Amino acid sequence: MQELIDYGKKAVNVALRRGAEEAEAYLSMSTGTSIEIERGQIVRSTKSMDQGLGVRAVYGKAVGFAYTNTLTDKSIEEAAGRAFKAARASKPDKNWHKLPNQGSYYETTGTYDKKVVALSSDELVETAAAMLETTTAYDKRVLAVGGGVGASVFHTAVVNSGGVEGIDRGTAVGCSMETIARNGADVTPACFEVDAKRVYDIDAEAVGVEAAKQAVSSLGAKKVESGVFPVIFAQPAFRSLLYYTLINAVKADYVQRERSAFKDKIGEKVASEIVTVWDDGLLDGGLSTSKFDGEGVPCQKTVVIEKGVLKNFLYDNYTANKAKVASTGNASRSGLASYASTPVLEASNFTFKGGDRTAEELVAEVDEGLLVYGVQGAHSSNPESGDFSVVATPVWKIEGGEVAYAVRGAMVTGVAFDVLQNISALGSNVKKLGQLVAPWIRVEDVKAV
Amino acid sequence: MKDILTKAVDYGRSIGAEYIEVRTQKLFKTLLTTKDGTVEGAKEGTEIGGGIRALADGAWGFVSIGKLEPKQLTEAVTEAVRLAKAAGLRVKKPVKLANVKAVEDRVVAAPRKNPQNVSMEEKIKSTLTMDKTVFGYDKRIRSCTINYLDVTGTNIFVNSDGTCIEQDKLYLWSRILASARQNSIYASAREEVGSTSGYEVFDTETPEKIGTMVAKRVVEQLKAKTPKGGSFPAVIGPNVVGVFIHEALGHLAEADLTLSGSALFDKLGKQIASDLVTVYDDGTVDGAFGSFKYDDEGVRTHKTPLIERGTLTGLMNDRETAHKLNMTPTGNARAEDFRSEPIIRMRNTYLATGDSSFEELIEGIDFGYYLKSFRGGQANLDGTFQVGIQEAYEIVKGRVGEPVRSASISGNTLETLHMVEAVGRDFELWPGRCGKGQTAFICDGGPHIRVGEVTIGGGA
Repeated sequence: MQELIDYGKKAVNVALRRGAEEAEAYLSMSTGTSIEIERGQIVRSTKSMDQGLGVRAVYGKAVGFAYTNTLTDKSIEEAAGRAFKAARASKPDKNWHKLPNQGSYYETTGTYDKKVVALSSDELVETAAAMLETTTAYDKRVLAVGGGVGASVFHTAVVNSGGVEGIDRGTAVGCSMETIARNGADVTPACFEVDAKRVYDIDAEAVGVEAAKQAVSSLGAKKVESGVFPVIFAQPAFRSLLYYTLINAVKADYVQRERSAFKDKIGEKVASEIVTVWDDGLLDGGLSTSKFDGEGVPCQKTVVIEKGVLKNFLYDNYTANKAKVASTGNASRSGLASYASTPVLEASNFTFKGGDRTAEELVAEVDEGLLVYGVQGAHSSNPESGDFSVVATPVWKIEGGEVAYAVRGAMVTGVAFDVLQNISALGSNVKKLGQLVAPWIRVEDVKAV
Repeated sequence: MKDILTKAVDYGRSIGAEYIEVRTQKLFKTLLTTKDGTVEGAKEGTEIGGGIRALADGAWGFVSIGKLEPKQLTEAVTEAVRLAKAAGLRVKKPVKLANVKAVEDRVVAAPRKNPQNVSMEEKIKSTLTMDKTVFGYDKRIRSCTINYLDVTGTNIFVNSDGTCIEQDKLYLWSRILASARQNSIYASAREEVGSTSGYEVFDTETPEKIGTMVAKRVVEQLKAKTPKGGSFPAVIGPNVVGVFIHEALGHLAEADLTLSGSALFDKLGKQIASDLVTVYDDGTVDGAFGSFKYDDEGVRTHKTPLIERGTLTGLMNDRETAHKLNMTPTGNARAEDFRSEPIIRMRNTYLATGDSSFEELIEGIDFGYYLKSFRGGQANLDGTFQVGIQEAYEIVKGRVGEPVRSASISGNTLETLHMVEAVGRDFELWPGRCGKGQTAFICDGGPHIRVGEVTIGGGA
């Protein structure tokens, strides 16, 4: 994969030769295979190969960017030239300081598995079939609406005129199952279970069982009276709520642009004292773990909240320069094709420290409350104020310390920042889900309509 | 190019594909982001690639590649057929496709102002004008983020039924997000512009007009109160009607989701809404963000009725679901780009107009809410929907009252559609982007309507 570095160096050199004062190339190359389930059967197998290069060129404090998905000498030269031209057409940014310099990278662990590289589509079909079988065998009222098994292998590289030169590789493998259950006219909402890892250690059959179990226990849902309850959020629900509120509030660009309720709150208590949160770009086997971030800055562990007190914000190179601090390595290249994106400030593995209670104990301590697995509509939350108003689905009523019955159409409303203050217990069942690493979390005084 | 693709398709047939299609794409994009008057980056990109989809042994194989030389295409075709056969080993009910007539066509985009001929400087200037308008509106406005995107290019579609379509693509899109703060009150608002006509869309949707609309909306929220939770009568504006129709009804009428057991399963031909309700998904609206001539299975787009006078009369079908349901493909199969397979997506989805004036809708309401503009929405297969509202007002004694912030509505699609009591005679169509694993450009809208009862949340 040395060729990625060579292409990157070429792009940087071309941009500098055209007149850029600084230049950076980001490259990625990936192959993915997946097997897809639709309406109770395996119907599809796909393979995608993608590669490309994105060039940033800086001229007079103005930044231009161009990308291409064709890696030839000619197309690389064109992209570098167009990045420089775009910088010339753009306006200077008085806060632009400079691209990062080379730092020293840590080796990551649990992020690359030769077994994933060697996986054949036939093996993936077998895994998908085994998962599907466990779902359909669980209960004949369950329909496997969709799901699948997928594996990918990727390489990324960053080169810049400040001396950064990094190359990394990774693997990912995952399976998911979406189900509904139908009993006469009683139809459940869609239920979903997923297991994603960086190494070949997924339990597809457990996913199949769990998705079926959720659907069956969602049958016979009843309405609940409005009220204020303790609510236990499972990871998918908590992740949706945090993504549009808390995670944004600790990003330095939100803070610097007065879009964060946490501005000027470093050192203040912003959460219940049992809450400790960190962002760890180097987490063993983390779904967002890498040696360096989207602009070649070493990834690191950053404490965000310690025992309820706000400690740090997350920075990329630009916001760090603006605040005259060091980047926390949180520049991300997002989207379908990472090379097509300029760096965006994003959390990596955003981690809530687990507590001492099992899931059963969390439930047993609730006299009357809700267990919320997922929420719908979190993207309509107000990112600045933290106001949210979402439909909980699937969701169960807890009565007398036990999960009693499924609930239909419960709306859960509140302010995400109050939720943090009202966390009363954390489970020990820490799980990785997307960029969130967290256990089940119990929150007091949540309003349900 | 077409000859190379036809050869690839013929080769696919010769190695066992029952059906095969090759879709290539050559796209050029311009993107801009400004934050608080600063250009974060002026960006350009080119993407060239192809997606090959083969049906063999009753299952699909799909391969996407970023190189379109004959050698890579042949390898990709071989792999797509092999993948289909691997999945086919497990298929119980083989996939079959509804027949469509083969088409040969060349679709040329004819914008009055081609965005390719507008300089980067001009695009930056226009974006910064919008930013200035926002900040100039009120000093409590703290941030403004604007994204701009234009896409131009050409797709070629060739399949083993003899269809060969070369179709130009042209999209313009802009989104503006503004936030304001007064003491401990934070407010935010957003708006989008989207078109398939040309850069001339900004002659009517001027930076000043859009900037003022968003600025006014965010500032109004600062003095707004939070809503009471509970069930209330509501007048719903075109922008919220659109997202409700899209999220709460439209997705359930995408035949792949209907077949998966959505709340519309078994409801074809049945009354599912008040008889004032007629809904279309329409790919033929001139210049609208969700319009195109042929979909990504080479099927001509339609104006597809979904509900007519309260009765569910149609679904959105691709060739696979159309065969399964013994219906006709409606031209709704869309792929985000060459990396993705075509799936059933909406186009421009709207509620048809009625005959009430706004005053007639509102006059009988003693206390309720006027829901004017949305911020996000989502629905579940069972018809449970949620729509966040960024601009709303109280209705008190038949009049629009004080502004309300951070509201959201929820309910069940079918229950809510039955409670539509009156439909306005105005009409607006709003552009947006829809996520279903892939992103699609769409529009939704309709007239103002009155709903007897809807659950209002928010206001902790």
